[in-house]
Amino acid sequence: MGTAALASLAPLAVVVPLTGGVVALLLSRLSARLSRTVSVAALAATAALLAMMAPAVYRGEVLVHYLGHQPPVAGQVLGVTFGVDAWGLTYALIAAVVGTLLLLYMFSEQDELGSRELGGFSCLFLLLVAALIGAALTADLVNLFVWFEVAALASYALTAFFLERPLALEASFKLLVLTNVASFLIFVAAALVYAGHGALNLGQIHVALAGRPGLADLTALGLLVAGFATKAGLAPFHGWLPDAHTAAPGPVSAAFSGIMVNVGIVAIGRLVFTVYAPAGRPVLGLLMGLGLVSAVGGALFALFSDDLKRLLAYDTIAQMGVLAVGLATGSGTGLAGTAYHLVNHALFKSLLFLCAGAIVHATGATKLSEMAGAGRRMPWLGAAFAVAALAIAGIPPLNGYVSVGLIHAALEESHQYPTYAVMVLAQVVTIAALGRAAVTLYRPARGEFERAERLRPGMLVALLLLAGACAGFGVFASPLVGHVVAPAAQALHDAPGYSHALLAGGGTVSHGHVAFDYFAPAELVTVLMTLVLAAPLAWWATAHSGARPIARMRAIQTGSVNDYATYQAVGLIVVVATLMFSALADR
Amino acid sequence: MIIANYLCAVALFCLGLYTILTRRNLIKIVMGLSLMEASTYVLLLSLAHRPGATAPVLLNPPAGQTPQQLAQGNVADPILQNFCLTAIIIGVAVTGVSLAVVVRVAQHYGTLDADKIRAMRG
Repeated sequence: MGTAALASLAPLAVVVPLTGGVVALLLSRLSARLSRTVSVAALAATAALLAMMAPAVYRGEVLVHYLGHQPPVAGQVLGVTFGVDAWGLTYALIAAVVGTLLLLYMFSEQDELGSRELGGFSCLFLLLVAALIGAALTADLVNLFVWFEVAALASYALTAFFLERPLALEASFKLLVLTNVASFLIFVAAALVYAGHGALNLGQIHVALAGRPGLADLTALGLLVAGFATKAGLAPFHGWLPDAHTAAPGPVSAAFSGIMVNVGIVAIGRLVFTVYAPAGRPVLGLLMGLGLVSAVGGALFALFSDDLKRLLAYDTIAQMGVLAVGLATGSGTGLAGTAYHLVNHALFKSLLFLCAGAIVHATGATKLSEMAGAGRRMPWLGAAFAVAALAIAGIPPLNGYVSVGLIHAALEESHQYPTYAVMVLAQVVTIAALGRAAVTLYRPARGEFERAERLRPGMLVALLLLAGACAGFGVFASPLVGHVVAPAAQALHDAPGYSHALLAGGGTVSHGHVAFDYFAPAELVTVLMTLVLAAPLAWWATAHSGARPIARMRAIQTGSVNDYATYQAVGLIVVVATLMFSALADR
Repeated sequence: MIIANYLCAVALFCLGLYTILTRRNLIKIVMGLSLMEASTYVLLLSLAHRPGATAPVLLNPPAGQTPQQLAQGNVADPILQNFCLTAIIIGVAVTGVSLAVVVRVAQHYGTLDADKIRAMRG
C-alpha cells in the first residue's frame, strides 16, 4: 500500500473505536454478547489498523493526512492534521493492544453485570482509548486539547462507574476538579499560541517559533507543561491520581495507569521537543526537577501504603517521574529509554493493577496486610504479580531492565551523576515497596478470605499475555531498541523533519542510532546494588510504618480537594515563573 | 478598551481559582470551575478583537460590498470565536457531569463539605 493510502487510514484509528463504542452501547439493549463482541472487535481492528502503518512509520516516514482534504495554502494549514510518526504510533499501538486485553479481562471478570451497564462501560472505555489514540496522532494544538477533554470526560465517568460506591464518587470529584483546571490551562495556552502566530498546526508553530520565543509563547509552554503534567500525575500535580486508581474497578485503574496517564508524557515530549525545539531547552531542567520529585516521592509513599491499589498508584507517580527524567536528558539514548519505558509501563503496570483487581475480586481483601497467602492459593496470579514486580525492579531479562538502563546510560553520558544517584535511590525504594507487596502474597495465610472465587479463563489469558509481553520485551531488547524505540526517539529529535512533513503532506525523519549494551557491567552492578539495599529497607518499612515522621509525610496527602488544587496551583506558578525567569535572565 | 478585557479575564480566572482553593462546599467549587471557564471565553473573544472590526459574517454583506471585500477587510478572527463556542459546549458538558457527581456525593456522604469527603488520604 502506498504512503498516501496508508496516511488516509490514520483518522480511522480514531473513528473505528468511537463508532464501536456507540454501536456497542446501542447493541447492549439487544444482546450483551453481541455488544461485547463488537467492542472487543473494534479495539482489535484499531490495533490492526495501527499495526498496518507500523512498517512505514518505523522506517522513518511521517504519514500525514489533512482532514477534509484541505491541503495547506502557502504554508498555512487550514484544517486539522493527523501526523503519524514513530513517537505517537508507539504509544497509540500499545494503547490499542493493552486496551483490548483490558476490555477482555473486564468482560470476563464482571460477567454478572447487567447488559446495560456493560454497554455503558464499553462505550466509555472505547471513548477513552479513542481519545488517547487521537491525542497521540494529532498534529493540531486545539485538536490535542479536544482529545484531552474527551479522555477526561470518559475518565470521570469510568472512575465513578459503580455509582453505589461512595469512594468512587469522591475520587471522581477530585479527578474532575484537577483535570478541569488542567484543561483550562491547555486551552488558554492554545489560544495564546494562536493569537501570537496565527497557527495551530504543530509544524507551522514550530516554524513560527524558530526565532526567539516571546514571553507569551513561554507562558503558553508553561501552561501546557502544567496541564499535561496534571494528566501524567507528576508531583505536585498528582493529587487526583492515588484516589482515582484506588476507587475505580481493577481494569479501569489498569487503563488509567497503564495507558491514560502516559498520554501526558507523550504530549509533553511532542510539545517540548518537536514544537518548541530548540527554544524549549529551559523546560528540560524543570522536567528534571518535577521528575525527580515524583520518582522519589511516589516511591516513598508507595513504600508505606497498606492498600495494594494505592501502593501501585503511588508507584505510577514514581514511574511517571522516571519518564520525565528520561525526557529531560534530551539525548537520543534518554528519549529512546523514555519511549521504551512508556511501553513497558503500559505492560507491567496494567498487569499489576489487573492482579490487584483479581485479588480483590477473588478474596475480597483490599489491604496488603489481609492478602497474605493469596499468592499461594492462586499460583498463576502470584506468578504474574511477581513477574510484573521483578520487571519494575529492573531485573534482567525482564523489560524494565532495558528501559531504566537506557535512561541511566543517558544520565551517565551527560555526566549528571547526582541525578543518577537520586534515580538509583528512587529505584531502591520502588523495589522495596513492590518487593514487600510480592512477598506478602506468599506469606502463610492468616485465616479464611472473605470470598473464595476462582479466576476465570479470560482473566487468566489477559494476565498471562501481559506477563509474557513483559518477558518478551526484555528478551528481544536489541531488535526493539534498533527498530522501534530508536525511530520513536528520532521522531522527537528531528523537529525540522517532522514539521516539514506536516506542511508538505508527508515526509521522512532522519535515522537515529541508539546503542544498548545488554551486559554493561555498570548497569548490572547497579541492579545488584539496588536489590541488596532494597531488602533491608523493605524490612525496616514493614516494622516502622507507623512512625511519626512517616505519618507526618503521609499527612501531605490530605484527601481534601482544596489542598490538591492548591498543590496544583503552586506547581503551575513554579513552572511558569521558572520559564519566565530563565527567559528574562537570557536577555 | 481591550486591556480592560484582558484584566477582566485574568481577574475572573483568579477568582475562580481562589474559589476552588478556599471554598469547601462542592457546589461552590463547581461554580469556581465555571468562573474559570467564563474567563477563557472573555480571553478568547478579546484575542479575536481587531480595532474597528466588524463581525466575521460573510453572508448578506451590506449594500455595495461583496463577501470577498469583507473577508479581506477588517473582521474579527472567526477561529477564536469558534473556539469560544467549542469551549462553551465543553463547559456545559463538564458542569453537567460535575453536578451529577456532586448530587450523588451528597446522597452518599450526606454532606457537601470537602473536608468531610476525604475517606481516602495518606
